[in-house]
Order: sequence, then structure tokens, then C-alpha cells
Amino acid sequence: MADQDTIDLVKDIDVDKYKYGFTTDIEQEFAPRGLSEEVIRFISAKKNEPQWMLDWRLEAYRVWQTMVEPTWAKVSYPKIDFQSLYYYAAPKAVTGPKSLDEVDPKLLETYAKLGIPLKEQEILAGVRQQGEKSTLDEEGAGATTPVAVDAVFDSVSVVTTFKAELAKAGVIFCSISEALRDHPELVKKYLGSVVPQGDNFYAALNAAVFSDGSFVYVPPGTRCPMELSTYFRINAKNTGQFERTLIIADKGAYVSYLEGCTAPTREETQLHAAVVELIALEGAEIKYSTVQNWYPGDKDGKGGVYNFVTKRGDCREAHAKISWTQVETGSAITWKYPSCILRGDHSRGEFYSIAISNGRQQVDSGTKMIHLGKHTSSRIISKGIAAGRSDNTYRGLVSAHRKALHARNFTQCDSLLIGDKCGAHTVPYLEAKTSTAQFEHEATTSKISDDQMFYVMSRGLSEEEAVALIVNGFVRDVLQQLPMEFMAETQKLIGISLEGSVG
Amino acid sequence: MTSAAATAVLTPAEMAIGTPLPTRRQEDWKWTDLRRRIETPYARGAGVADPSRVARLIAADPLAKLPLRRVVFVNGVLDRSHSDLTGLALKDGAPALAEAEWLAAMNTTLEAQPVTFTVSGTADRPLHLMFLTLADAPAAAGARVHIDVAEGASLQFIESHRGIGAYLANPALTIQLGKGARMDRAKLELEGAEATHLAVAELTLAADAVLRDFTLTSGAALNRQNGRITFAGEGADARVTGAYLLGGAQHADTRLVVDHQVPRCLSREVFKCVMDGDARGVFQGKVIVAPDAQKTDGKQSSHALLLSERAEFDAKPELEIYADDVVCGHGATSGDLDHDHMFYLMSRGIPQAEAKAMLIAAFVGEVFDGVDHEGLRDVLTAFAQNWLTAHKS
Repeated sequence: MADQDTIDLVKDIDVDKYKYGFTTDIEQEFAPRGLSEEVIRFISAKKNEPQWMLDWRLEAYRVWQTMVEPTWAKVSYPKIDFQSLYYYAAPKAVTGPKSLDEVDPKLLETYAKLGIPLKEQEILAGVRQQGEKSTLDEEGAGATTPVAVDAVFDSVSVVTTFKAELAKAGVIFCSISEALRDHPELVKKYLGSVVPQGDNFYAALNAAVFSDGSFVYVPPGTRCPMELSTYFRINAKNTGQFERTLIIADKGAYVSYLEGCTAPTREETQLHAAVVELIALEGAEIKYSTVQNWYPGDKDGKGGVYNFVTKRGDCREAHAKISWTQVETGSAITWKYPSCILRGDHSRGEFYSIAISNGRQQVDSGTKMIHLGKHTSSRIISKGIAAGRSDNTYRGLVSAHRKALHARNFTQCDSLLIGDKCGAHTVPYLEAKTSTAQFEHEATTSKISDDQMFYVMSRGLSEEEAVALIVNGFVRDVLQQLPMEFMAETQKLIGISLEGSVG
Repeated sequence: MTSAAATAVLTPAEMAIGTPLPTRRQEDWKWTDLRRRIETPYARGAGVADPSRVARLIAADPLAKLPLRRVVFVNGVLDRSHSDLTGLALKDGAPALAEAEWLAAMNTTLEAQPVTFTVSGTADRPLHLMFLTLADAPAAAGARVHIDVAEGASLQFIESHRGIGAYLANPALTIQLGKGARMDRAKLELEGAEATHLAVAELTLAADAVLRDFTLTSGAALNRQNGRITFAGEGADARVTGAYLLGGAQHADTRLVVDHQVPRCLSREVFKCVMDGDARGVFQGKVIVAPDAQKTDGKQSSHALLLSERAEFDAKPELEIYADDVVCGHGATSGDLDHDHMFYLMSRGIPQAEAKAMLIAAFVGEVFDGVDHEGLRDVLTAFAQNWLTAHKS
């Protein structure tokens, strides 16, 4: 029973022992500390980028210098010294992603430890080795569908699996550095078309210094034969991670993509400012799932990752669909709003979110659904769970422009408070500029009721088990949106994240 | 006020009023950019109005026929000659406005003449404060009233706001409800078509106090109402409702903060907003639950009915909650008339215009029904009927 597993895991793991907090001791190469044109030229040169790319970065840097750090979110943190960070760190001797055989075994070991046995997966085409404990799938055991993985270690992509199989279907899945080399026309056409260089402070910073990330292109009429996944790992000290993901689903294509993130336990905070751009053309569908488990800091709020991310999808043509699913359990501060621009007529946007905060974590997350086309529809389901001394804010915008005739939105955001030292906040914005738009918004905030607890405990469950069961029920609507492989894992993660909050 | 706004060059309108105005860069003002919208340089103070015009305006009041104790304010100043003050505990002066906010600052700048009413026991008749503004030239008038309802006292209180000409009315009202006190408040914002209505209302409830509050917003070209309800004693109960009936190019924005500072209080807010023509309605509600305010029960809802394709509704129903043992929620909807409902009524032989009027009346009827005073309820229903007839399209 999944819930029993949750309980067992919760018992096993000390609240302060972040499971993925280890460091990989590997020789790394850094750019000089701080940010300047030279550093940007250094990064660009390291990647052998074309001149237009360098110009694009420098333009972003110039815009960034004129921008002011935004402060409107309900999060507080000491001022970030952007000159004290490293903007580029790469395992030595990695000149670019290679085939698996050439990858440093230490790196493979790191990913195996994180539950991503890259090598085995490729060799066994998804059938797990007996006795190989995977955090991704513990109860399912046996055959699972293969998942192609792009593993990003600090600033570079170290390996991408299943490339050959994907190529057969015409799907391009590689690191963005490779894409720049092999498919510059696609990158040039779409990069920055959803999140322009000067979109916001952190997006501009990312545009200037982004080092790697994933690139996906699914050709017209193609259903991507397997789940795609990127696994982000911050390892180096004092390093910001700035990856950029670009996913294009051409007419009638379908792709499901999952990203996972972890970082070592460190006393210093780390900055993660990524940009994700999704483009869905006519009739295409992109399903983007995130399981974010960056190091959250210890229970007194020391250390942890600042997760300041810009994610936006563009349903550029008619009948396109973009769906965001996120499970946010990590990071000291999460500040992001995966959004959908519903430009094409009849296009659809979805946002499913579970945000769990414990300890001193701060979350300010939500979505924007911008209805521009006719008959566009969107759905938002957000479940926030605050425990410990954390603050958990849902912030969202639903807007229908004049010409977005018959736009529809349904929003439900529920918050659950565990303990009396935490805060749960809801800040939705609704803008209806046409009478034909039908918007419905609902939000509730409550604690687990005594009746619910009494009922479950009278069936013989302990208090901790009862809470885990009720919380898993609370987030069920969202869990169901996750790819099968990650549902069980996520349920456990929820249990672990809430450890120490009961009683 | 941010320093950036304070150091910015003042517009002619700001200079005339003597205070800077908020812009959409201020979060609470993102849908109502006062600095851009107020272009008229209003003179400070509207002076003394012609008594015969005042008398005519009083006689035309929709509440004139109800048996109310009438107290008239003209251009923000208490008009003793038209008021029934016998036996009223009334004095000059009022406590300073609690919230250092744009509209409160404006009220201070406009040098409103403060008046305090003290109510004890049960008033014999409902108190009707009639705020009238008569301006021959564009003028801004501030009014400042404080009502102190003593422990266990109860008051039915109606305020109406009307006027003639291009003026800016800036009434600031503070109400203190003592322990176990009760107030039934109704506000009718029926300002003139060219008017700007910028109101402040701050209500504080002591333990076990009861508030029933209703606001009709239908007048003025530009309306902004900042309300704040603070629960300062346990066991208090507040039900706050509102209706918008807007047409033409009217713009109305309500910012309502319900602040649960203590445990075991109940709050309900229901706003029904009808917008026709190019009108724009905004509702920004915020429920705050302080860390110790356990057992709070707070719910708010705002519903918009857009009758024309160009009408607009913006909402920001916020919850800020720091206590865990609470039941809070909000709902917001926006849309046009339900086509199924229309079809149902018309299939029963009811003409389209009539069916539409019935549905709109039912939509706002929910909040009218909560008004306790029967005579007032009839006046509201009649007003809505007239409004619907005028906006039959």
C-alpha cells in the first residue's frame, strides 16, 4: 500500500537528512567568479557558439543591467550578490555530451545514486536490474516504459540517452548546446520567442549566461515514442544554475516531458534561474511535468536553493494544448509561475500543482492563463500544503482579452495548513474583458478536520498514517496527472516532505 | 506612499488637490489608475451651496419618504438647518484615520470637518446620513464622520451619496462597534454622472459585535471604495454585501480588507456586480487571519454579470492566512447571462427583455434580501427595476 510506504519512509528518514544531499567529488572547471561581458564571452566560446548567439546573450546582459530586482513576491531573502557567483561550472574533460561509454563513471554513479541508472536503463531498455533500488519505481518493479534522459550536471549536459531510438521517429532530443551546433535554424527561430531576453530580471540573467539545458523538437504528426526527461543536478559550490529548455511540438505532435532536480546539502544558498519555453503548433500537445526537489535548507532555514524560474508555454496555433504539472517539495524559496499563452483558437492550457512547504521554506507559485484566441479554455488545480514555519502562496492570473470570445476557465486552489506557525495565502487575479468569457474560481483554506482524523484513526491508523492518507487524498487530483512512473515516487516524496510536521 | 511617487512631478490635478495620486504601479491600484484618470484640477472645497438647491436635492432623495432621522452633509460640511439633531449625541472632531493610505491622506488634505456621533441604547429611528455635493465649478469635498456605537447598543444606519456637477467626493467614515453592539449599515452610492467618488470606511468590531453591511454602487463616473473591517474582539460576526449596477463608461473598484486579528470571528462577503455598456467593475477582497486567530470562519465571493461584450470585470480575491484551525474560502465568477436560464424562461412564453430583467433581478436580489430594513429593501428593488428598464438592450 502506497500510504504505508510513505509512513515507513517517513520513519526512516530524519527531517534534517535530505536524501539527495551528497556531493560528488569530481574535478571541475569554472568560469571566473562574477558576471561580466568577459564571462559571457567565455561561456559562449566554451560552447563554440555562433556569433548571433553571443550577440543575443550580450544584448540580454545589457538589458539585465538596466533592470531592477523584483520584490513583489511574498518571499524574503537577503540580497543576492550576483558578482560572488560562478556562472559556469563543468566536470573537467567534458567537452560536450558524449555516448554513455565515454562518460566519467563518477557521474554515472551520481545519477545512479539519484535513482537514475542511466547506463542500465539504456542497456536494458527500461527493464530494471534485479536488486537495483530505484526511487522512481519501487512497487511497480519489472518492466516499465523506457524514458529518455538528458542529464545536466551543473552547467553542462553530460549525456542524453536513447538518442538513436528517438532519431528513428524523427524526434530531436539533445542538449541545447548540441542543438545550437546541429540545428541552429530551429534554435534561432524559436529561442526567446516565448520568453524574450528582457522578459524579467531573472529571465534576462538566464538569457545572458545560460549554459545548458534540453532541446526537444517533435516533427509534425509524430507522437514521441517515449517519455523524455531531464535530470538537473547542482553539484559545485557557489554556482548558479541557469539552464534553458526549449520544446517545440510541431503540428499534430505529442510529447510528454519530465524534469527532476536535486542539489547537495550546503550551508550557502544557491541560485537556480532557469527558463523553459514551450511552443505548441496546430493540434500539438505538450505535457510538461516537474518534480522539484532541490535542497530546501535545514530546519532553521540555513542553505537551500533559490528557485527563481520562468516557465511559459505558447499555444501558438489552433487546437494546441499545453499542460503543466508540478510537484514542488524542495528549494528554500520557490518563485515561479508556469504559464500558458492561449493564442490559437480552441487551444487549451492546464496547470496542476502540488506545493509543499515545511521548515522555513517559502513558496510563491501559481500560473498565468492568458486567453487571446476564441474558444480557448484553461483549468487550474492547485494544492498548497504548508507545515512547520513555512509560507505558501498561490498567485495566479486568468485573463481574457477582448477578442477571446467564449474563453473558459475553471480554477480551484486549496490550501492545507499543518501547524499554527505556517502561512497559506491565495492571490488570484481575474481579468475578464469580454462578457462571453466564463470564469470560475474557487479557493479554500483549512486544516485537516478532527472528524476526518477521527474517522481514519478509528479504523486503526496512527496519527501520522492518518495525516499521510488524508494529504495524499487532498492532492489526488494532481497526482493523477503525473506520468505513471512518477506517481508512486511522488507520493513518497510528499510523505517525506511532511515528516516532522505531525503532532 | 512610495518615495518615487512623492518625488515625481505632480500633474495639474494633483497640484490642485494638494496630494499625489496612486498609479497602476501601486499593487492596490493596478486596475484604477487615479493619476491617469483624474485630469480635472478640482478646487479644494466646494464652498457654500444655495439652500434652495439643497432643499430640492433633499426632496428628490429616494429615501425621503421613509421615517428616518436625517442628518445632511453638504459639500462635506454638516448642514444643521436641514438636519434633525435633537437628542443626538454629536460633537466636533474625530479620531485620526488608522490607515495611512492615499484616500485617507486626501481626506486630511481636503481639511474635512470631522464629526463624531455616539450611539447608546437602541436608536428610535434609523440614522440617515445624506451626503450631498453641489459644485458649480469642479471641486473636491472631503467629509469625515466617526460613529461610536457603545457596548450593547444597536443602530440602523443608512448613508446616501448624491450630487450635481463635476465634483470629487471623498467621504471618510470610521465606525467603532462596542462589545455586543449591532449595526445594520447600508450605503447607497448614487453620485452624479460626472462625479468621482473616493470613499474610505474603517469599521472595528469589539467582542460579540454584529455587523450587517450593504453597499449599492451605481453612481459616479469613477468610484473607488476602500473598506476595512477589523475584528478586535472574539465572537464578532460581520456580513458584508454589495451590488454594482454600472453602465456607460462607469468604473467602480472596491478594495475590502477583512482583518481577523482575534479568534472565533465570522465574516461573510458577497458581491454581485452587473456591468453593461463599457463599464468596468473591480472587486479586490482580502481576508487576513492573524497567527492567533484560530477558529476563524471567513468566506468571500464575488460574482460578475457582464451584459455587454465590452463590459469588463477584474477580481482579486485574496486570502492571507497564518492560523491553521480555520475555515476560509473564496469564490469568484464572471460571465454573461446563462443561456439555459434564458431559454427556459423564453420557452415559457416570457419575452426576451423581460426574461433578462428577471434573471438580473434574481442575480442582485440575493444581496438585497439581506437588507434588514423593509422600506429600504423596497427602495432598492424599485431602484434596480428602474435601472434595468433604463439599460434594456
